[in-house]
Amino acid sequence: AQTSLASSRKSRRKDWTKLIYATDLTPEEILRDTDREASDAKDAMDMDEEDFFQIKSRADNGEEVLDRSKEVWSAEELKKWEDEEMLESIRHLFITGEDNP
Amino acid sequence: MSSLLHFSGHQHFRHRLVLSILSGRHVRVDKIRSDDKNPGLRDFEISLLRLLEKVTNGTVIEISVTGTAILLKPGIISGGAVTHDCPLSRSIGYFLEPVAMLAPFAKTPMQLTLRGITTDENDLSVDLFRTVTLSHLQLFGISDGLELRIKKRGAPPEGGGEAQFLCPIVKQVKTLNFVEPGKVKRIRGVAHAVRVNPQFSNRMIESSRSILNRYIPDIYLYSDVYKGDESGKSPGYALSLLAETTTSAIYCSEAISKAGVAPEDIGLEAARGLMAEVNLGGCVDRKHQILVLLMMVLGSEDVGRCRMSEPTPRTIQFLRDIKQFFGTSFKIVPAEHGSTQLLYSCYGTGYVNANRTLA
Repeated sequence: AQTSLASSRKSRRKDWTKLIYATDLTPEEILRDTDREASDAKDAMDMDEEDFFQIKSRADNGEEVLDRSKEVWSAEELKKWEDEEMLESIRHLFITGEDNP
Repeated sequence: MSSLLHFSGHQHFRHRLVLSILSGRHVRVDKIRSDDKNPGLRDFEISLLRLLEKVTNGTVIEISVTGTAILLKPGIISGGAVTHDCPLSRSIGYFLEPVAMLAPFAKTPMQLTLRGITTDENDLSVDLFRTVTLSHLQLFGISDGLELRIKKRGAPPEGGGEAQFLCPIVKQVKTLNFVEPGKVKRIRGVAHAVRVNPQFSNRMIESSRSILNRYIPDIYLYSDVYKGDESGKSPGYALSLLAETTTSAIYCSEAISKAGVAPEDIGLEAARGLMAEVNLGGCVDRKHQILVLLMMVLGSEDVGRCRMSEPTPRTIQFLRDIKQFFGTSFKIVPAEHGSTQLLYSCYGTGYVNANRTLA
Protein backbone atom coordinates (compact mmCIF):
# COMPACT_ATOMS: atom_id res chain seq x y z
CA ALA A 1 0.00 0.00 0.00
CA GLN A 2 2.95 2.30 0.71
CA THR A 3 4.27 2.09 -2.80
CA SER A 4 0.91 2.58 -4.47
CA LEU A 5 0.38 5.68 -2.36
CA ALA A 6 3.75 7.05 -3.40
CA SER A 7 3.14 6.38 -7.05
CA SER A 8 -0.29 7.98 -6.99
CA ARG A 9 1.22 11.05 -5.44
CA LYS A 10 3.75 11.22 -8.23
CA SER A 11 1.24 10.85 -11.00
CA ARG A 12 -0.77 13.64 -9.46
CA ARG A 13 2.11 15.94 -10.16
CA LYS A 14 2.51 14.67 -13.69
CA ASP A 15 1.48 17.12 -16.39
CA TRP A 16 0.05 14.69 -18.91
CA THR A 17 -0.86 17.22 -21.56
CA LYS A 18 2.68 18.53 -21.59
CA LEU A 19 4.33 15.11 -21.46
CA ILE A 20 2.29 13.81 -24.37
CA TYR A 21 2.31 16.79 -26.70
CA ALA A 22 5.45 18.74 -25.83
CA THR A 23 8.12 16.13 -25.20
CA ASP A 24 9.92 13.50 -27.25
CA LEU A 25 9.67 10.87 -24.53
CA THR A 26 8.43 7.51 -25.71
CA PRO A 27 5.07 6.38 -24.28
CA GLU A 28 6.93 3.86 -22.13
CA GLU A 29 9.21 6.56 -20.73
CA ILE A 30 6.25 8.74 -19.84
CA LEU A 31 4.61 5.91 -17.96
CA ARG A 32 7.79 4.65 -16.33
CA ASP A 33 8.11 8.01 -14.62
CA THR A 34 5.32 6.90 -12.33
CA ASP A 35 7.41 4.35 -10.48
CA ARG A 36 10.73 6.00 -10.64
CA GLU A 37 12.20 4.34 -7.56
CA ALA A 38 12.02 0.96 -9.21
CA SER A 39 13.39 2.07 -12.55
CA ASP A 40 16.04 4.35 -11.12
CA ALA A 41 17.88 1.42 -9.65
CA LYS A 42 17.71 -0.38 -12.93
CA ASP A 43 18.81 2.67 -14.90
CA ALA A 44 21.81 3.12 -12.63
CA MET A 45 22.85 -0.41 -13.34
CA ASP A 46 22.43 0.11 -17.05
CA MET A 47 24.60 3.20 -16.82
CA ASP A 48 27.42 1.30 -15.18
CA GLU A 49 27.58 -1.20 -17.94
CA GLU A 50 27.04 1.35 -20.63
CA ASP A 51 29.68 1.23 -23.27
CA PHE A 52 30.42 3.25 -26.33
CA PHE A 53 28.55 0.74 -28.43
CA GLN A 54 24.93 0.19 -27.68
CA ILE A 55 22.88 -2.80 -28.70
CA LYS A 56 20.33 -1.74 -31.21
CA SER A 57 16.80 -1.82 -29.78
CA ARG A 58 14.92 -5.02 -29.21
CA ALA A 59 14.48 -5.90 -32.84
CA ASP A 60 17.32 -8.36 -32.56
CA ASN A 61 15.88 -10.17 -29.59
CA GLY A 62 13.47 -11.97 -31.88
CA GLU A 63 10.45 -11.14 -29.74
CA GLU A 64 8.69 -8.08 -31.12
CA VAL A 65 6.17 -5.82 -29.44
CA LEU A 66 2.77 -6.87 -30.68
CA ASP A 67 0.12 -4.39 -31.70
CA ARG A 68 -2.40 -5.75 -29.22
CA SER A 69 -5.49 -4.16 -27.79
CA LYS A 70 -5.92 -6.29 -24.69
CA GLU A 71 -3.82 -4.87 -21.90
CA VAL A 72 -2.72 -7.86 -19.88
CA TRP A 73 -2.19 -7.84 -16.17
CA SER A 74 1.13 -9.16 -14.99
CA ALA A 75 1.18 -12.27 -12.83
CA GLU A 76 2.15 -10.18 -9.77
CA GLU A 77 -0.68 -7.76 -10.39
CA LEU A 78 -3.15 -10.65 -10.45
CA LYS A 79 -1.50 -12.27 -7.44
CA LYS A 80 -2.42 -9.19 -5.40
CA TRP A 81 -6.04 -10.14 -5.76
CA GLU A 82 -5.58 -13.40 -3.94
CA ASP A 83 -5.39 -11.31 -0.82
CA GLU A 84 -8.59 -11.00 1.22
CA GLU A 85 -7.77 -7.44 2.30
CA MET A 86 -7.19 -6.35 -1.27
CA LEU A 87 -10.54 -7.78 -2.31
CA GLU A 88 -12.25 -5.95 0.57
CA SER A 89 -10.50 -2.68 -0.32
CA ILE A 90 -12.60 -2.16 -3.46
CA ARG A 91 -15.96 -2.92 -1.84
CA HIS A 92 -16.84 0.80 -1.90
CA LEU A 93 -16.82 0.67 -5.70
CA PHE A 94 -19.91 -1.57 -5.67
CA ILE A 95 -23.47 -0.44 -4.94
CA THR A 96 -23.56 -2.66 -1.88
CA GLY A 97 -20.50 -0.97 -0.35
CA GLU A 98 -20.22 2.04 1.95
CA ASP A 99 -19.69 5.47 0.42
CA ASN A 100 -16.48 6.18 2.23
CA PRO A 101 -13.92 3.40 2.36
CA MET B 1 -5.43 18.75 -46.25
CA SER B 2 -4.27 15.63 -48.06
CA SER B 3 -0.60 16.36 -47.49
CA LEU B 4 1.44 13.26 -46.87
CA LEU B 5 2.10 12.11 -43.33
CA HIS B 6 5.14 10.05 -42.61
CA PHE B 7 5.69 7.38 -39.95
CA SER B 8 8.32 4.79 -39.16
CA GLY B 9 8.11 1.31 -37.73
CA HIS B 10 5.54 -1.44 -37.59
CA GLN B 11 4.03 -0.33 -34.31
CA HIS B 12 0.69 1.42 -34.17
CA PHE B 13 0.09 0.30 -37.76
CA ARG B 14 -3.64 -0.29 -37.38
CA HIS B 15 -4.69 3.03 -35.95
CA ARG B 16 -2.55 4.97 -38.41
CA LEU B 17 -4.33 3.31 -41.30
CA VAL B 18 -7.68 4.10 -39.70
CA LEU B 19 -6.76 7.74 -39.10
CA SER B 20 -5.57 8.03 -42.69
CA ILE B 21 -8.84 6.72 -44.09
CA LEU B 22 -10.98 8.88 -41.82
CA SER B 23 -9.00 12.05 -42.42
CA GLY B 24 -8.37 11.39 -46.11
CA ARG B 25 -4.69 12.12 -45.65
CA HIS B 26 -2.08 10.07 -47.42
CA VAL B 27 0.24 8.06 -45.24
CA ARG B 28 3.67 6.61 -45.77
CA VAL B 29 5.02 4.10 -43.27
CA ASP B 30 8.61 2.96 -43.67
CA LYS B 31 11.24 1.02 -41.73
CA ILE B 32 8.72 -1.73 -41.10
CA ARG B 33 10.85 -4.27 -39.23
CA SER B 34 13.80 -3.24 -41.42
CA ASP B 35 16.24 -4.48 -38.77
CA ASP B 36 14.45 -7.76 -38.28
CA LYS B 37 15.80 -11.10 -39.41
CA ASN B 38 12.53 -11.44 -41.23
CA PRO B 39 11.90 -7.89 -42.48
CA GLY B 40 8.72 -6.30 -43.73
CA LEU B 41 5.01 -6.63 -43.25
CA ARG B 42 3.56 -9.74 -41.61
CA ASP B 43 0.79 -11.77 -43.19
CA PHE B 44 -1.84 -10.31 -40.84
CA GLU B 45 -0.83 -6.76 -41.76
CA ILE B 46 -1.09 -7.53 -45.45
CA SER B 47 -4.43 -9.16 -44.75
CA LEU B 48 -5.61 -6.05 -42.92
CA LEU B 49 -4.62 -3.90 -45.89
CA ARG B 50 -6.62 -6.20 -48.16
CA LEU B 51 -9.60 -5.93 -45.85
CA LEU B 52 -9.38 -2.13 -45.84
CA GLU B 53 -9.30 -2.24 -49.62
CA LYS B 54 -12.52 -4.25 -49.57
CA VAL B 55 -14.42 -1.89 -47.28
CA THR B 56 -13.31 1.21 -49.15
CA ASN B 57 -13.53 2.38 -52.72
CA GLY B 58 -10.65 3.94 -54.61
CA THR B 59 -7.98 3.20 -52.04
CA VAL B 60 -4.48 2.88 -53.45
CA ILE B 61 -1.92 0.87 -51.52
CA GLU B 62 1.67 0.63 -52.66
CA ILE B 63 3.99 -1.80 -50.92
CA SER B 64 7.72 -1.63 -51.53
CA VAL B 65 9.52 -4.65 -52.97
CA THR B 66 11.05 -5.53 -49.61
CA GLY B 67 7.74 -5.03 -47.81
CA THR B 68 9.34 -2.58 -45.39
CA ALA B 69 7.48 0.49 -46.64
CA ILE B 70 3.92 1.23 -47.69
CA LEU B 71 2.07 4.18 -49.10
CA LEU B 72 -1.66 4.48 -48.49
CA LYS B 73 -3.86 6.83 -50.47
CA PRO B 74 -7.28 6.37 -48.92
CA GLY B 75 -10.50 6.29 -50.89
CA ILE B 76 -13.99 6.56 -49.50
CA ILE B 77 -15.45 4.11 -46.99
CA SER B 78 -17.97 2.14 -49.00
CA GLY B 79 -19.22 -0.46 -46.51
CA GLY B 80 -21.79 -3.00 -47.68
CA ALA B 81 -21.51 -6.78 -47.59
CA VAL B 82 -17.92 -7.94 -47.28
CA THR B 83 -16.43 -11.32 -46.40
CA HIS B 84 -12.87 -11.76 -45.28
CA ASP B 85 -10.78 -14.75 -44.23
CA CYS B 86 -8.42 -13.74 -41.44
CA PRO B 87 -5.02 -15.42 -41.21
CA LEU B 88 -4.48 -17.67 -38.21
CA SER B 89 -1.63 -15.48 -36.95
CA ARG B 90 -4.11 -13.03 -35.40
CA SER B 91 -7.67 -13.33 -34.19
CA ILE B 92 -10.78 -11.78 -35.72
CA GLY B 93 -10.56 -9.04 -33.07
CA TYR B 94 -7.43 -7.61 -34.70
CA PHE B 95 -9.46 -6.93 -37.83
CA LEU B 96 -12.75 -5.98 -36.16
CA GLU B 97 -11.32 -3.18 -34.06
CA PRO B 98 -10.16 -0.94 -36.92
CA VAL B 99 -13.25 -1.71 -38.99
CA ALA B 100 -15.50 -0.69 -36.09
CA MET B 101 -13.82 2.73 -36.16
CA LEU B 102 -14.58 3.16 -39.86
CA ALA B 103 -17.95 1.46 -40.34
CA PRO B 104 -20.18 4.21 -38.86
CA PHE B 105 -18.87 6.59 -41.55
CA ALA B 106 -19.41 4.32 -44.53
CA LYS B 107 -21.55 4.99 -47.57
CA THR B 108 -23.84 2.06 -46.82
CA PRO B 109 -24.27 0.01 -43.63
CA MET B 110 -21.52 -2.55 -43.14
CA GLN B 111 -22.24 -6.27 -43.06
CA LEU B 112 -18.84 -7.76 -42.53
CA THR B 113 -18.29 -11.50 -42.19
CA LEU B 114 -14.92 -12.49 -40.73
CA ARG B 115 -13.62 -16.03 -40.48
CA GLY B 116 -10.77 -17.23 -38.30
CA ILE B 117 -9.92 -17.33 -34.61
CA THR B 118 -12.65 -15.87 -32.42
CA THR B 119 -10.78 -15.68 -29.09
CA ASP B 120 -7.10 -15.25 -28.33
CA GLU B 121 -4.91 -13.53 -25.78
CA ASN B 122 -3.86 -10.53 -27.87
CA ASP B 123 -7.00 -8.89 -29.16
CA LEU B 124 -10.56 -8.42 -28.06
CA SER B 125 -12.48 -11.65 -28.37
CA VAL B 126 -15.78 -11.68 -30.20
CA ASP B 127 -17.49 -11.90 -26.80
CA LEU B 128 -15.88 -8.74 -25.44
CA PHE B 129 -16.44 -6.99 -28.75
CA ARG B 130 -20.12 -7.88 -28.69
CA THR B 131 -20.80 -7.05 -25.05
CA VAL B 132 -18.40 -4.18 -24.41
CA THR B 133 -17.12 -2.55 -27.61
CA LEU B 134 -20.58 -2.23 -29.13
CA SER B 135 -21.83 -0.56 -25.92
CA HIS B 136 -19.06 2.00 -26.29
CA LEU B 137 -20.16 2.80 -29.84
CA GLN B 138 -23.68 3.33 -28.53
CA LEU B 139 -22.39 6.14 -26.31
CA PHE B 140 -21.88 8.10 -29.51
CA GLY B 141 -25.30 7.46 -31.00
CA ILE B 142 -24.24 4.52 -33.14
CA SER B 143 -26.89 2.02 -32.15
CA ASP B 144 -29.77 1.06 -34.48
CA GLY B 145 -28.99 -2.33 -35.93
CA LEU B 146 -25.55 -2.49 -34.35
CA GLU B 147 -24.80 -6.15 -33.81
CA LEU B 148 -22.18 -8.87 -33.75
CA ARG B 149 -23.37 -12.38 -34.49
CA ILE B 150 -21.07 -15.16 -33.38
CA LYS B 151 -21.90 -17.86 -35.90
CA LYS B 152 -19.09 -20.28 -35.10
CA ARG B 153 -16.41 -20.44 -32.46
CA GLY B 154 -12.81 -20.89 -33.49
CA ALA B 155 -10.07 -21.47 -30.92
CA PRO B 156 -6.38 -21.17 -31.78
CA PRO B 157 -4.37 -22.57 -33.47
CA GLU B 158 -6.70 -23.83 -36.23
CA GLY B 159 -9.58 -21.38 -35.84
CA GLY B 160 -12.60 -22.15 -37.98
CA GLY B 161 -14.78 -19.52 -36.32
CA GLU B 162 -17.06 -17.00 -37.96
CA ALA B 163 -18.60 -13.73 -36.85
CA GLN B 164 -20.76 -11.19 -38.62
CA PHE B 165 -20.54 -7.51 -37.78
CA LEU B 166 -23.50 -5.31 -38.63
CA CYS B 167 -23.04 -1.57 -38.25
CA PRO B 168 -25.40 1.29 -39.08
CA ILE B 169 -24.15 4.53 -40.61
CA VAL B 170 -24.44 7.89 -38.94
CA LYS B 171 -24.25 11.45 -40.19
CA GLN B 172 -22.32 12.62 -37.17
CA VAL B 173 -21.38 11.19 -33.78
CA LYS B 174 -22.67 12.67 -30.55
CA THR B 175 -20.49 14.65 -28.18
CA LEU B 176 -19.55 12.60 -25.15
CA ASN B 177 -19.87 13.84 -21.62
CA PHE B 178 -19.06 10.92 -19.38
CA VAL B 179 -17.44 11.91 -16.12
CA GLU B 180 -19.33 9.99 -13.46
CA PRO B 181 -18.06 6.40 -13.10
CA GLY B 182 -20.85 5.32 -10.71
CA LYS B 183 -20.75 2.08 -8.77
CA VAL B 184 -20.78 -1.48 -10.01
CA LYS B 185 -24.34 -2.80 -9.95
CA ARG B 186 -24.11 -5.99 -11.95
CA ILE B 187 -21.66 -8.52 -13.30
CA ARG B 188 -22.20 -10.51 -16.46
CA GLY B 189 -20.09 -13.13 -18.15
CA VAL B 190 -19.91 -15.62 -20.97
CA ALA B 191 -18.07 -18.91 -20.68
CA HIS B 192 -17.52 -21.17 -23.64
CA ALA B 193 -15.77 -24.47 -24.15
CA VAL B 194 -15.34 -26.03 -27.58
CA ARG B 195 -14.02 -29.47 -28.42
CA VAL B 196 -13.36 -30.17 -24.75
CA ASN B 197 -15.52 -31.44 -21.90
CA PRO B 198 -18.55 -29.08 -21.83
CA GLN B 199 -18.36 -29.12 -18.02
CA PHE B 200 -15.31 -26.84 -18.31
CA SER B 201 -17.62 -23.84 -18.76
CA ASN B 202 -19.34 -24.52 -15.46
CA ARG B 203 -16.06 -25.10 -13.68
CA MET B 204 -14.78 -21.67 -14.80
CA ILE B 205 -18.05 -20.07 -13.75
CA GLU B 206 -17.99 -21.72 -10.31
CA SER B 207 -14.45 -20.66 -9.50
CA SER B 208 -14.91 -17.06 -10.64
CA ARG B 209 -18.06 -16.84 -8.51
CA SER B 210 -15.98 -17.72 -5.48
CA ILE B 211 -14.44 -14.25 -5.84
CA LEU B 212 -17.33 -12.28 -7.32
CA ASN B 213 -20.20 -13.42 -5.09
CA ARG B 214 -18.99 -11.40 -2.12
CA TYR B 215 -19.74 -8.04 -3.75
CA ILE B 216 -23.17 -8.04 -5.30
CA PRO B 217 -26.02 -10.48 -5.84
CA ASP B 218 -26.74 -9.46 -9.44
CA ILE B 219 -24.35 -11.83 -11.20
CA TYR B 220 -25.28 -13.80 -14.26
CA LEU B 221 -22.65 -15.93 -15.95
CA TYR B 222 -23.81 -17.67 -19.06
CA SER B 223 -22.44 -20.88 -20.46
CA ASP B 224 -22.51 -20.56 -24.24
CA VAL B 225 -22.71 -23.90 -25.99
CA TYR B 226 -21.49 -24.51 -29.51
CA LYS B 227 -21.67 -27.96 -31.03
CA GLY B 228 -20.36 -29.84 -34.05
CA ASP B 229 -19.41 -27.67 -36.99
CA GLU B 230 -20.10 -24.49 -34.98
CA SER B 231 -17.32 -25.20 -32.52
CA GLY B 232 -14.39 -24.70 -34.88
CA LYS B 233 -11.34 -26.80 -35.51
CA SER B 234 -9.34 -26.64 -32.27
CA PRO B 235 -10.10 -27.27 -28.60
CA GLY B 236 -10.24 -24.29 -26.26
CA TYR B 237 -12.23 -22.50 -23.60
CA ALA B 238 -12.43 -19.03 -22.12
CA LEU B 239 -14.34 -16.86 -19.70
CA SER B 240 -15.08 -13.21 -20.37
CA LEU B 241 -16.48 -11.02 -17.61
CA LEU B 242 -17.87 -7.52 -17.43
CA ALA B 243 -18.94 -5.29 -14.59
CA GLU B 244 -21.47 -2.55 -15.30
CA THR B 245 -21.94 0.50 -13.10
CA THR B 246 -24.96 2.61 -12.24
CA THR B 247 -23.89 5.11 -14.91
CA SER B 248 -23.32 2.34 -17.50
CA ALA B 249 -19.54 2.39 -17.38
CA ILE B 250 -18.24 -1.07 -18.22
CA TYR B 251 -15.09 -2.82 -17.04
CA CYS B 252 -14.14 -6.13 -18.60
CA SER B 253 -11.63 -8.92 -18.43
CA GLU B 254 -11.03 -12.24 -20.03
CA ALA B 255 -8.99 -15.38 -19.46
CA ILE B 256 -8.26 -18.04 -22.03
CA SER B 257 -7.37 -21.72 -21.80
CA LYS B 258 -3.65 -22.48 -21.60
CA ALA B 259 -2.00 -25.84 -21.77
CA GLY B 260 -1.73 -27.45 -18.37
CA VAL B 261 -3.96 -24.93 -16.57
CA ALA B 262 -7.20 -26.11 -14.99
CA PRO B 263 -10.51 -24.40 -15.90
CA GLU B 264 -10.82 -23.32 -12.25
CA ASP B 265 -7.64 -21.28 -12.55
CA ILE B 266 -8.86 -19.67 -15.76
CA GLY B 267 -12.03 -18.66 -13.92
CA LEU B 268 -10.00 -17.14 -11.08
CA GLU B 269 -7.72 -15.32 -13.49
CA ALA B 270 -10.70 -13.71 -15.23
CA ALA B 271 -12.25 -12.66 -11.91
CA ARG B 272 -9.00 -11.21 -10.59
CA GLY B 273 -8.44 -9.35 -13.84
CA LEU B 274 -11.91 -7.87 -13.49
CA MET B 275 -11.20 -6.73 -9.94
CA ALA B 276 -8.00 -5.04 -11.14
CA GLU B 277 -10.01 -3.19 -13.81
CA VAL B 278 -12.71 -2.17 -11.33
CA ASN B 279 -9.97 -0.86 -9.07
CA LEU B 280 -8.55 1.30 -11.88
CA GLY B 281 -12.00 2.78 -12.31
CA GLY B 282 -13.02 5.60 -14.58
CA CYS B 283 -15.80 5.58 -17.16
CA VAL B 284 -14.01 3.63 -19.89
CA ASP B 285 -11.67 0.70 -19.47
CA ARG B 286 -8.16 0.58 -20.89
CA LYS B 287 -9.00 -1.62 -23.84
CA HIS B 288 -11.38 1.00 -25.19
CA GLN B 289 -9.48 4.21 -24.55
CA ILE B 290 -8.50 4.57 -28.18
CA LEU B 291 -11.96 3.97 -29.59
CA VAL B 292 -13.56 6.47 -27.23
CA LEU B 293 -10.90 9.15 -27.76
CA LEU B 294 -11.23 8.80 -31.53
CA MET B 295 -15.00 9.22 -31.42
CA MET B 296 -14.57 12.26 -29.16
CA VAL B 297 -12.32 13.87 -31.77
CA LEU B 298 -14.86 13.13 -34.50
CA GLY B 299 -17.72 14.52 -32.37
CA SER B 300 -19.69 17.69 -33.12
CA GLU B 301 -18.06 21.06 -32.55
CA ASP B 302 -18.42 21.10 -28.82
CA VAL B 303 -16.30 20.06 -25.86
CA GLY B 304 -16.39 16.33 -25.18
CA ARG B 305 -15.28 15.05 -21.81
CA CYS B 306 -14.48 11.62 -20.45
CA ARG B 307 -12.99 10.34 -17.21
CA MET B 308 -10.55 7.46 -17.60
CA SER B 309 -7.54 5.89 -15.99
CA GLU B 310 -3.99 6.74 -17.03
CA PRO B 311 -3.29 6.30 -20.75
CA THR B 312 -1.69 3.08 -21.94
CA PRO B 313 1.44 3.32 -24.14
CA ARG B 314 -0.80 2.71 -27.18
CA THR B 315 -3.10 5.51 -26.11
CA ILE B 316 -0.24 7.97 -25.70
CA GLN B 317 0.99 7.30 -29.22
CA PHE B 318 -2.57 7.46 -30.51
CA LEU B 319 -3.07 10.90 -28.96
CA ARG B 320 0.08 12.12 -30.69
CA ASP B 321 -0.96 10.65 -34.01
CA ILE B 322 -4.45 12.16 -33.72
CA LYS B 323 -2.84 15.56 -33.35
CA GLN B 324 -0.95 15.01 -36.59
CA PHE B 325 -3.96 13.82 -38.54
CA PHE B 326 -6.69 16.07 -37.18
CA GLY B 327 -4.79 18.85 -35.38
CA THR B 328 -6.78 18.10 -32.24
CA SER B 329 -5.10 17.87 -28.87
CA PHE B 330 -6.70 16.80 -25.62
CA LYS B 331 -6.56 18.54 -22.32
CA ILE B 332 -5.68 15.92 -19.70
CA VAL B 333 -5.98 16.85 -16.05
CA PRO B 334 -6.45 14.88 -12.81
CA ALA B 335 -10.14 14.09 -12.35
CA GLU B 336 -10.06 15.27 -8.77
CA HIS B 337 -7.58 15.92 -6.02
CA GLY B 338 -5.88 12.71 -4.94
CA SER B 339 -7.23 10.60 -7.78
CA THR B 340 -5.12 8.71 -10.31
CA GLN B 341 -7.96 9.03 -12.77
CA LEU B 342 -7.78 11.69 -15.44
CA LEU B 343 -10.25 13.89 -17.21
CA TYR B 344 -9.73 13.93 -20.98
CA SER B 345 -11.41 16.72 -22.89
CA CYS B 346 -11.21 17.97 -26.45
CA TYR B 347 -13.05 20.13 -28.90
CA GLY B 348 -14.73 17.93 -31.53
CA THR B 349 -13.81 18.41 -35.17
CA GLY B 350 -17.43 18.24 -36.29
CA TYR B 351 -16.63 15.34 -38.58
CA VAL B 352 -19.47 14.72 -41.01
CA ASN B 353 -19.97 11.46 -42.86
CA ALA B 354 -19.58 12.69 -46.42
CA ASN B 355 -19.76 9.18 -47.85
CA ARG B 356 -23.34 8.65 -46.71
CA THR B 357 -25.87 8.21 -49.47
CA LEU B 358 -28.53 10.83 -49.15
CA ALA B 359 -31.90 9.27 -48.49
